[in-house]
Amino acid sequence: MLRYTVRRLLGAVPLLLGVAVISFVIMQLAPGGPDALFARNGRMSQEQLDAIRRNMGLDRPVHEQLLVWLGNLAQGDLGTSYSQFRPVTAVIWDVFPNTVLLMAAGLGLSLVFSLAFGILAARRQYGFVDNLTSFVSYFGLAMPVFWFGLMLQLLFAVRLGWLPSAGKYAAQGGGDVWDLLKHLVLPAFTIAIGSIAAWSRYVRSSTLEEAGQDYVRTARAKGVRERQVVAGHVLRNALIPLVTVVGIDVPLYLTGAVLTETIFSWPGMGRLFFDSLTTRDYPVLMGTLVLGAVLIILGNLVADILYGLLDPRIKYG
Amino acid sequence: MINLVPSQDRSKADEPEPGTVNGLIQARIDGRIGRRELIRRAAALGIAAPVVGVMLHATSDLAFGAPNPARAAAQTEGTIPANAPTEPTGAPQEGGVLTTGTIEEPDTLNPYVTQLVTATDILTGIMDPLMRYDSTQQLRPALAEGFEISPDGLTYTFRLRQGVTFHNGDAFGAQDVIDSWKMIMNPDFGAFDQQGWEKIVDITSPDPTTVVMTTKEVYAPFLSYVGGSTYISPVKELAKGPQAFKQEFGRAPVGTGPMTFVEWLPKQQIVVEKFPGYWGEAAKLDRVIVRILPDDNTQLVQLRTGEIQMAAGSGSISATRVDEALGLEGIALLEHPTLGWSHLDLKHVDFLRATKVRQALDFATPSKDIIEKLLKGRALPSVADQAPGTWAFNPNIQPRPYDPEQAKTLLAEVGLTPGEEGVLQGKVPTTDPNVLDGEVKPFEMEIWGLAGDSQTQQIVQVIAQSWNAIGVKTSPQFQDVSTIWGPEGYQFNEKMTACLYSWFNSNDPDVMFYWHSSQIPDSPTGTGGNLPAYFNQYNFQAEIDRLTAAGAAETDQEKRKQIYFQIQELLHQEVPVIFVYWGKAYPAVTTKLGGFWPSAYNRMLWNVQEWYLTQ
Repeated sequence: MLRYTVRRLLGAVPLLLGVAVISFVIMQLAPGGPDALFARNGRMSQEQLDAIRRNMGLDRPVHEQLLVWLGNLAQGDLGTSYSQFRPVTAVIWDVFPNTVLLMAAGLGLSLVFSLAFGILAARRQYGFVDNLTSFVSYFGLAMPVFWFGLMLQLLFAVRLGWLPSAGKYAAQGGGDVWDLLKHLVLPAFTIAIGSIAAWSRYVRSSTLEEAGQDYVRTARAKGVRERQVVAGHVLRNALIPLVTVVGIDVPLYLTGAVLTETIFSWPGMGRLFFDSLTTRDYPVLMGTLVLGAVLIILGNLVADILYGLLDPRIKYG
Repeated sequence: MINLVPSQDRSKADEPEPGTVNGLIQARIDGRIGRRELIRRAAALGIAAPVVGVMLHATSDLAFGAPNPARAAAQTEGTIPANAPTEPTGAPQEGGVLTTGTIEEPDTLNPYVTQLVTATDILTGIMDPLMRYDSTQQLRPALAEGFEISPDGLTYTFRLRQGVTFHNGDAFGAQDVIDSWKMIMNPDFGAFDQQGWEKIVDITSPDPTTVVMTTKEVYAPFLSYVGGSTYISPVKELAKGPQAFKQEFGRAPVGTGPMTFVEWLPKQQIVVEKFPGYWGEAAKLDRVIVRILPDDNTQLVQLRTGEIQMAAGSGSISATRVDEALGLEGIALLEHPTLGWSHLDLKHVDFLRATKVRQALDFATPSKDIIEKLLKGRALPSVADQAPGTWAFNPNIQPRPYDPEQAKTLLAEVGLTPGEEGVLQGKVPTTDPNVLDGEVKPFEMEIWGLAGDSQTQQIVQVIAQSWNAIGVKTSPQFQDVSTIWGPEGYQFNEKMTACLYSWFNSNDPDVMFYWHSSQIPDSPTGTGGNLPAYFNQYNFQAEIDRLTAAGAAETDQEKRKQIYFQIQELLHQEVPVIFVYWGKAYPAVTTKLGGFWPSAYNRMLWNVQEWYLTQ
């Protein structure tokens, strides 16, 4: 298992290099640049603009810029933000924990609700609960995130006034865990709704499939209690396909959070990425893209390792 | 933001134009159009089917309750002109906290490298310039108590205020001014704004409370730029060196202003609090919190829920959303003119080099309708480059009326005749821009505008339509801002192009940046604002060069005014660009805030020490 993990991690290095080079090239292909706005500013002379370009390293040829950037990356240096004039690591670190928090909350909600809905639905196929959760799932899948988010905001923040409309903490008097939770509820549900809908379908179908297997009949025939049959036998096997789906979806939380973070003014990576895109802040963009790639690779690796733990038949050598 | 209360409950006067996704949704909620009509109009606007589905869903009676025509119309107050400080009726309270919401996060709070107004909105409460513009465009003493100009106009002597301390406890003196200048001019630092400071050849201080600045030429905007808008940093911070100063000061600025910097939580908020040791009367409020919000949707929601009590400065309500903000309880909506002029650049190539052709396009541009119908009157007519209400504005020029017939006549006069499919064609000028004697070309143009800005898009569509109607084949193009101004921008290809955007003037009427031949970029990555003349200089280039340079060198305000009057007449006559409108700003603020007096001439927190809340 250890050898397998190390091999996978080493294999990720050329992959990351590829991601870095491709994103760098795509960024250079986009029209405009980080200095486009400077040139059309009445307060900027040609000498000043040249000095700024020199400071940013934009006066060098593109391939040289890429090599310098890769060289710094190898030393763990992501460069300096063009717009904020401070290290990219500091810029990202400011918001990264917030995104992880939102991801974790969304993931937790998704797992709890999709497992609950999936198992409830599978207990009686085509029964009332099954049809109801089916309906809710299709609704959740079909609904655009931004619309659902806005509706939650309108209902709970504007109409009912139960929850704050946006942000991570209240402007003043906040800052404690309770305040944080209140701010977290709506964005976490918004980000989770799609996964709850999709994952509960997976849980339902794999539970139904496992429930019809011989070993389940055997377990029941032995007189094992129903609760034990569902939790200990059916569920454990039904979870394996879910692990794959979750492993693939988790990194999407990171990138797909742009809309949710924007609607709820959540101070996370999605907003950072979007803001940096509009200002063509290449170092920050490259930093977030590489971090995203690392997380996707890690997510897949963790999912693969979890297989081995859940299913003894799968062995990595 | 859609107003969920049907219009019967709002003012009947200003109904949103149902020409956008939001406008259609609003019209449906208000009961002005039916479900079928919504689908028809959405299809006509080219809105994708899934979006139409969302629109229908959003406007179903189930969603928000059926429109009820029987409900009485509620009276909504209009906007209030910001021509004096706000004066709420209640009794002023001691201290208090005000939370305001901006829709753009500052890049840095270092005053010399920030590119964003949202940063100076806050900095102006933390740091002081030598002098400060009030809301009547007058320079008032700040760190300097007064100044003298030498008879030759080259030397400025500032008497500095005594007993001023920085937030770090250091005393303010002449050395702070000198070192600030040195930092701004240091090439390793890379200042964003050197305007005025680059004219200084030497600064001396005969004593700690006097600074003498010697300039290399007579430069009228000097006081406005150096005196009125550049903030003075403390020696101790500047001594850290260019890179450390840029980075550290940018996250924790230190000044002499009425507010001290407290904290900056990225993408969340920036907090400033009262500085008890302020040289003037100390601030009445304890704290001002600036919430950083992602867009104006969230901003309006938070104004409604009371999470923020203000949206001002660069985060003011945009003209297109005024209706929604008007209905908010406990929120007053102020209005004031801005120094931003929306115009169409006309790249001086082919037909566009001829004065009559440009005049014809001006006649064919329905600016009045754009202001009255699209912008609902929330803008001012524009004839040239000085803002109505400022001292350099020439009130004697009348805008050209919308007159397509006149436009057609002018185009026929220069020899343009209808060709295939009614598109005009003719010879392009070769040597004399007003004589069309070259190869034959059809009159085909592009109009560029900013992508993602619905207001710009509507205006561009309207103009394209009216130009098409006189035989000028016009196609709109929408691009993001970095593309427009980058090397692939419209100004660097030889197609006939117009581009709709706004320039923002400074408090001084100097306009060399827009028109002078020295401001024509020498390459697609070069600096300068005279973009229409990139391929061919204006046919009046010598005259506008002479006038704009004379304006910058004349220090007598009355004589200067005459020069700028002449420039405006020349611009109106020659139409190097089509002047469309002057924008207005709409700061929203709680009806309990007193002393608030926003204007185009200063930034949000300029007089924050005078703000107070009532009970």
